[in-house]
Amino acid sequence: MLFEQLLIVGIITGSVYSLVGVGFTLVLGVGKVANFAHGSFVAVGLYLALFASETLGLNAYEAFVPAVIFFALVGVAVAELFEWRGRKVGEIGELLIGLALLLLVGGLLEVLFTDTPRTINGLVLGHVDIAGLIISGTEFVAVAFTLVTAVALYLFLRGSRWGRALRAVADNGEAAGLYGVRVPVARRAAVTISIVVAGAAGIVISPFTVLTPDVGSTYLISAFAVVIVGGIGNALGAVLAGIGIGIVTSLSSGYLASYWTSLAPLILILLVLLFRPGLSEAV
Amino acid sequence: MTQFRFPASVSFAAPAWRWSGLAVFFVAAWFVLGALPAAAISVAVLALFYASAGSSFNLLYGSLGIFSLAQPVFVAVGGYASSFLYVRYGVSPWLGMLAAMACAAILAVPIGFIAMRRPGTVVTALVTLIVSEAATPILSAITPLGGSIGLYIPVKSGTNWGALQFATGLPFARLFLALNVLIIAGLMWFGRSRAGLWAAAIKDSPDAASASGVPVLRMRLSIFIASAVIAAVPGVLFAQYNLLVNADLFLGDAVLFQLLVVALVGGSARPWGALVGALVMTELSQYLSNVAGDRPGIGPLTFAAAFLVMALAMPRGIAGTWAAFVSARKARAGGGHDRSPAIPDARDHPDGNVVPLAGGPSRDAAETETPTG
Repeated sequence: MLFEQLLIVGIITGSVYSLVGVGFTLVLGVGKVANFAHGSFVAVGLYLALFASETLGLNAYEAFVPAVIFFALVGVAVAELFEWRGRKVGEIGELLIGLALLLLVGGLLEVLFTDTPRTINGLVLGHVDIAGLIISGTEFVAVAFTLVTAVALYLFLRGSRWGRALRAVADNGEAAGLYGVRVPVARRAAVTISIVVAGAAGIVISPFTVLTPDVGSTYLISAFAVVIVGGIGNALGAVLAGIGIGIVTSLSSGYLASYWTSLAPLILILLVLLFRPGLSEAV
Repeated sequence: MTQFRFPASVSFAAPAWRWSGLAVFFVAAWFVLGALPAAAISVAVLALFYASAGSSFNLLYGSLGIFSLAQPVFVAVGGYASSFLYVRYGVSPWLGMLAAMACAAILAVPIGFIAMRRPGTVVTALVTLIVSEAATPILSAITPLGGSIGLYIPVKSGTNWGALQFATGLPFARLFLALNVLIIAGLMWFGRSRAGLWAAAIKDSPDAASASGVPVLRMRLSIFIASAVIAAVPGVLFAQYNLLVNADLFLGDAVLFQLLVVALVGGSARPWGALVGALVMTELSQYLSNVAGDRPGIGPLTFAAAFLVMALAMPRGIAGTWAAFVSARKARAGGGHDRSPAIPDARDHPDGNVVPLAGGPSRDAAETETPTG
């Protein structure tokens, strides 16, 4: 009984990790940029939902479409910033931008919303009773959203012309450029997509998540973990890795002492690192 | 891509004025610290702590391009090792410092091996961040180290050199200053040494370096260990200054980011980088905080804003920008040969162009907007 419950909780948290990790791995694969600010966009999504519900009276789902448009604009701007710095000063410029954005978003959220943990009330979608565990409708929506987004991203990368271009750039930017792929455009697209997905993830998980300004770095670390386990640039790997990490976290919190909750996934990652011959770079 | 021309004649000994400059700075700063009020001293201690920890990051990133986020772990190992020996067995922190350095070195071997077995800045960053995150739960799981509470160092009254405890912060500030000067001197020496030149060769092109007989993995690992050893020392001093060690003190995200920011703002490829960065960031964020007034959370925000400004204005850091400025002036004056930086950095081409970091995955395609097919 307990096992099934922990498994379900693990899948729910894991699907959030997956969603955040998918965008991060895309940017790593295509743009070769470790975007330190990636988790921050989840945080922005969460606080955007808070703002929408407290000030505008909109619930998370009503705020979803405007938020996605907002994140698309932010994504284009951030991608431009990365591209500009990358061209001018190389890798270090991009790392610096990511780091600065991470700190800036954290600071801004703390000033605007203070650092007291917040929750968003009001949105109830009923609940489902599985294996004696009550799962709220919002959690169900989040899992469904993850799966749909992951599958859509996967199909996009596999099937579409654009997706092929992105994969080509991830594989070998120089060669892709010689074959006529507009590499900088592909990289901008990857950054924008990742930011939209991260922001949307923040919105979708807002009804059942506790909001703190530094939640961004938590998700950054989970994204790092997902990438290591799932492989750089591997969208499908990221989804599986995210859910796997979620399940391991949940099971260890159920059966082991409390500090294992944070330690178990990290040990899993170190094991993966030790026993895997190389991080795969396939999309 | 611009081609790196090696200067026709290079002197690999640091010019004497660099060494005397360091000595003059040391003496001047020593007395300036003596004149500061107590509040300023505590800020100075913090800045110098981050500067010395940041230097250990700079050694890795500046010389080899290894983006290690595990430096706080080694700082923490330093603090914990000496405090544990002192609290449990009464071993003087001075001896504890040696033990701390040894512990950091031992721990650095597996971490460095896992992190650098695969090439690429990004993989190293990923692995070391995970290590850094794992350190907190691991430390709280070890009961002899005080679990999540940490260790409290028994207080001696007054000044006690043997126990490394002082009534005021000033001796700590001076110790940190001496440590920084020592690290800078070490980095200046290293940049000109054979190992430093090997490191520069590896950073530029691991394959070419390996083909010319440079032991790439061994160099990477040795420098990783050296940086861990350096990072352990500020950990010991900081633990003594705070009279406690716990995970929050060394391993919070704030510490990691402060350390990185200080190192990168100063300029990673310069011996002075972290110190300059620490002083500038401290001053700048203090100033901005004063301007912005005292609202909750304004501190982190102003720090971030200051960092963003610096990252946009001087992506190679203050020290890097300064060196580029000096070399540009020298090149105009017709000289231009005595510009080999203290840690050789092929990215700073005399004409100011920047060659992208070598070692990472190729991104040359990015440099030119390729036409559509």
